[in-house]
Amino acid sequence: MSDQTVTRTNDEQQSNSLTDQQPTSHTVDAETDEQLVDSWTDYEFEGEAAITVEDLDVYYGDDHAIDSISMEIPEQSVTALIGPSGCGKSTYLRCLNRMNDRIDSARVDGTVEIDGENIYEGDTDLVELRKKVGMVFQSPNPFPKSIRENVSYGPRKHGDVNVGLLGKLLGGDDSEAERRLVERSLKQAALWDEVSDRLEDNALGLSGGQQQRLCIARCLAVDPDVILMDEPASALDPVATAKIEDLIEQLAEEYTVVVVTHNMQQAARISDQTAVFLTGGQLVEYDDTDKIFENPESDRVEDYVTGKFG
Amino acid sequence: MFDRVALGIVGTAIVTFLLGWTTLFDRTSPDTAVAGLSLFALFGVAFLLAGAGLIAAGIASNVGLFKTTADQYTGLGTGVAFGVVGFATGGLVTTILFGVGATGSALAGLVVALIVTLGIAVLPEDIGTTLPVGLLALVWGVLLAAGFVDVGWVWDPPSLAATFHAPIVVPLVTIALSLLVAWSGAIVAEGFGSQGRQNGAYLMIGLNAFGMIAVLLLLILFVVRKGLPTLLEGAQFGPGLSISVPFLTKGVMLGQQYNGIFPAIVGTVWLVVGAVVLAIPMGIGAAVFLTEYAEQGRFTAVIETATNALWSTPSIVYGLFGYAFLVPRFGNRNSLLAGMMVLGFMLLPLVVITSREAIKSVPDEYRDASAALGVNQWQTIRSVVLPAAMPGVVTGVILGVGRIAGETAPILLVTSGAPFPARAPSILGSFRFTATPPFVQNEALLQASSALPYQLYAVITAGVGQEEAFGWGTALVLLLVVLGFYAIGIASRIYFRRKLHQ
Repeated sequence: MSDQTVTRTNDEQQSNSLTDQQPTSHTVDAETDEQLVDSWTDYEFEGEAAITVEDLDVYYGDDHAIDSISMEIPEQSVTALIGPSGCGKSTYLRCLNRMNDRIDSARVDGTVEIDGENIYEGDTDLVELRKKVGMVFQSPNPFPKSIRENVSYGPRKHGDVNVGLLGKLLGGDDSEAERRLVERSLKQAALWDEVSDRLEDNALGLSGGQQQRLCIARCLAVDPDVILMDEPASALDPVATAKIEDLIEQLAEEYTVVVVTHNMQQAARISDQTAVFLTGGQLVEYDDTDKIFENPESDRVEDYVTGKFG
Repeated sequence: MFDRVALGIVGTAIVTFLLGWTTLFDRTSPDTAVAGLSLFALFGVAFLLAGAGLIAAGIASNVGLFKTTADQYTGLGTGVAFGVVGFATGGLVTTILFGVGATGSALAGLVVALIVTLGIAVLPEDIGTTLPVGLLALVWGVLLAAGFVDVGWVWDPPSLAATFHAPIVVPLVTIALSLLVAWSGAIVAEGFGSQGRQNGAYLMIGLNAFGMIAVLLLLILFVVRKGLPTLLEGAQFGPGLSISVPFLTKGVMLGQQYNGIFPAIVGTVWLVVGAVVLAIPMGIGAAVFLTEYAEQGRFTAVIETATNALWSTPSIVYGLFGYAFLVPRFGNRNSLLAGMMVLGFMLLPLVVITSREAIKSVPDEYRDASAALGVNQWQTIRSVVLPAAMPGVVTGVILGVGRIAGETAPILLVTSGAPFPARAPSILGSFRFTATPPFVQNEALLQASSALPYQLYAVITAGVGQEEAFGWGTALVLLLVVLGFYAIGIASRIYFRRKLHQ
C-alpha cells in the first residue's frame, strides 16, 4: 500500500465533506483546490529560513495525520499555523522538535532542517535539538516548584548552572549566574515586575496567564533559537491573552516563533505569515498574513478565514 | 406542628440509637431506672411514641391535612429494603411463636418478605415510608414497655445451639430500629419527595458512620483502660523533668521490682525500620521501571496482578518462606535480620502498588514540559515525577507499616527467641568493621529478638511468666508504637506536600 493511495482516500473524504458543507456554489472550486494545492505553498520571503520542511508525512498507526507538507519558516518572525480541529497543525508543530517521538504509534517521514541539519537523521542529539527549539504548551504547565526553580530548571539539568552543595564542591557556585539568568528570562517573558519579590513562592500559586508566561520564561532560559507554541493562549482569559500576544510579538525580534492557534483574529494580529491547514493534514495555503486574511488564493481558505466553515 | 413531630421522632431515634450502643458496651446498665422506668421500658415508651408519631404523620400527609411533596409510589428500592427487614422479622416471629426449625422460619420469612416488598412498593410514598417503620416501632415498643421482653428474657431456640440474652438482643434490635425510625423521621421532616429521601439517606449514613467511629473509639478506650495501670506501674514523674516508666525502659529480670517490655519495643522498632529501609528503594525503583520505562502491555499487566496477589498473601506464608529460605542462610537460627527481610518483602507489594498509582497520577504535562526543555528521562523522573509522587508513596508506606508492625506469624517463625528477654538488641553498638570480607559485621542483627505482637501472643497462649495485665500493657504500647509510626508517616507526607505547594 503506497502513500498515494492513502492520500487519495483523504482527498476523496475531503471533497465529500466539502460538498456537504457547500452544496450550491463551491463544488467546482473545491476540485480546483485539489489540483492546485501545492502551488499556494511556495511562499517567497526575504531573509534566511530558520526551518526548512520537506515532504513531511506523519502517521499515527494507520492514520495519515500529516500529508506531505513542505514549507520554509523564516527566522525572527511569527509564523501562525491555523486550521480546524484535527487538521494536524499541532502534530506538525510537534515534529519540529521531535516531541512526536514520545508517542509510540507515531511515524515520521521526510526531512526537517534546522541550521542546515536534518533533525530526523539518525545521530541527532535530542537534548541539543530541544535546547535549540523550545516549546510552550496549550495549558500552562509549570512544575510544582518555586518560580526560580522553574526558570532555572533547564540550565540546571543541563549542567549550565551549578548550584547547591555539589556546585560548590565541583568548582564554583553559580548562584549569581543563576540569579541573573532567572531575572533575564523573567524580564524577557514580561513577568519580572509581577514576581520579582516572590521568586521562592510556588509557581502553582500564580494566575493562569502568569503561569503561561513563566512557562515561556522557562523555555527562554535554555536560550533557544526557535520557540514553538501550541495554542498558548487558549486556556487564558482575554487580558492574559493580550499580554501573551504582546509578548509573542516582542519575542519575534530575537527568536523564530511558530504559533498554532484556533483563533483567527489572534493569528491576524500577531503573525507575519500564516499557514492554513485543512482536514486531512494538508497545508493548503501559506503566505503573508495580510494576504491570507484579505485575499487568499484558495476559496476553501477564504471560506475558512471568513468563518463560513471550520 | 408536622415539623415538630418529625424533629421529635428523629431526636428520639438518635437518643435510643446512642443509648443502644452504650448499653451494648456496658456503659449504661439495663437496670438503670429513669423516672421509675427501667432503661428497656424507657426504650419501649420511646418507640411507642415515635411509632405513633410516624403513623400519624404519614396518614396526615396522605389525607391532605398537611401539604407535602410525597410521590405517588414508595418504589421498589424501599420495598426491597423492608423486604429484608420483613424476612428477619417474619423468620424470628415464627420461630419464637411456633418453634419451627430453620427451614420453616426461612420459608415464612421469605413469604413475609415477598408480601412486604410488593405491598410497600405500590403504597403512596408518605404511607410506605412511615407505616411499616411505625408498626415495627409500635410492636417493639409494646414488647419492651409491657415487660414481655425484660432484662431476664432469654431466647433459647431448640434448633440452634446458642441462647440469646436480652442485654445483647435488646440493644441490637434497638440500634437497628432506631436507624429505621431516624430515616423515616428525616423523610417526614422534609415532607417526603426527593428532598425527604435525600435527608433520610443523609441521616442514616451519618448515624452509621458515627456508629463505626464509636466502635473504634470504644476499642481504643478499652485497651487504654486495661493497659494503662500496667504501663504506669512504678512510674515516677518528677521531681523536675526526671520521668521514669519502668514498663517502657526495663526488660524482664528476676529480682527486679518492676518488669518491662523495652527489648520488645526496640525489636519492633528495628523490624519496622529495617523493613521500610529494604522495601522503599526496591518498591519505588520497581514502580518507576514499570510505569515510566516498561512498555505497557501483557508483561506489566502480569506484574500488576502478581503484586496485588502478593499483597493479599497471608503473612504466615511469608513467614514460612523466611523460615525455610532465610533462616538457614543466616546461621540457622532466628534473627532480627531475617525478620526485617520477611517484613520488607511483605511491605514491598504495597509500596509498588501505591507508588505506581502515585507516579501514574503525576500529570503528563510535567513530563512533556521537561522533555521539551531537552532534559532526559531519568532526570525528569528524579526531579519532577518522583517529588510530585512522593506524598502518594508515603501514604502507601504508612498503610503498610500499620500492617507489618502488628504482624505476629512471621516473627514467630523467623525472629523470635525468648519472649521476655532481659536486654534489648543493641544494633547500633554492634557494628564491627573487619579488613576481610564481609567488612561489616553486626552480631546483634543475627540474633533473635522479641517484638511486641510476639510478646502479646506469648502472654495469651503460654501464660507462663507474665500475667494478663502485662499483656494489656503490651497491647497498649503496641497501639502507641503503631500510632507513632503513623504520626511519622503523616508528618513526612505533609512535608512532601508542602514542598509541592509552597
